[in-house]
Amino acid sequence: MITLAIFVFFGVLAAAGAVLVVVQKNAMHSVLYLALTVLATAGVFFTLQAEYLGAVQILVYGGGIVVLYIFVIIIVNLKEVLPEKRKLFPRLVLIALPALLGAEIILVVVRTRFAPPAGHERGLDLASLAEMLLKTYLVPFEIASVLLLAVLVGAIIIARRKSLHDPD
Amino acid sequence: MIPISAVFGLGLFMFCVGVFGVLFRKNLVIMLMSLELLLNGVNIILAGVSRHLGSPRGSVFAIFVIVMAVSEAAVGFALVLSYFRKRKAYDADGLSELRG
Repeated sequence: MITLAIFVFFGVLAAAGAVLVVVQKNAMHSVLYLALTVLATAGVFFTLQAEYLGAVQILVYGGGIVVLYIFVIIIVNLKEVLPEKRKLFPRLVLIALPALLGAEIILVVVRTRFAPPAGHERGLDLASLAEMLLKTYLVPFEIASVLLLAVLVGAIIIARRKSLHDPD
Repeated sequence: MIPISAVFGLGLFMFCVGVFGVLFRKNLVIMLMSLELLLNGVNIILAGVSRHLGSPRGSVFAIFVIVMAVSEAAVGFALVLSYFRKRKAYDADGLSELRG
């Protein structure tokens, strides 16, 4: 019961933060609400007994990605607010599309009869997670590390000031 | 005990808010943030299903989704930076020079 209450608390925080990220005019305010959303999502992970995911969420998102966003906003100097004007028809379509998508998926979820929960929770501890990650999914794990290396090199090359063929 | 439909509801709500942000906003930085929201919603659903089935497989998939989100953020910001250096702008409307 108390777990459900904590889940609802963090879930409402995360949902409200998500809406506020999208509707803010100023990008810096958006980043701060993104930090709130990410930390609340970490709380949701903790209530779902995914402690490792929650810790990774706080470290990677709260410590890495949010700081990266703040740095980029400072570099790009996103001070002035962009005017975001659209005609009425595209505006309506762009609001209706995600709303309809959400309504459809919710309809499908409500109609689905989920299997009852498995009950045994010994498969959720860190040891079995590590075993599955490093045994069953070893090849995707290694491919993910190659992806990260490629991203490291690619991001540096894309973001550097001079082009590669520039002699100076 | 948290009902699985509540987890699905929260994840889907965050996913749809993310889709709305990517479609509706014109600021490139806020569009990238909405992408993060979208992937966060998916992660919530994966963690919930993992607990529901009593298997760590959902958490493993969520870890891969986090790896992908980090790479996407890094490359996306590199692209935004190089676009900003070239054009001194950061709205998506200017990204139309390849139009035929």
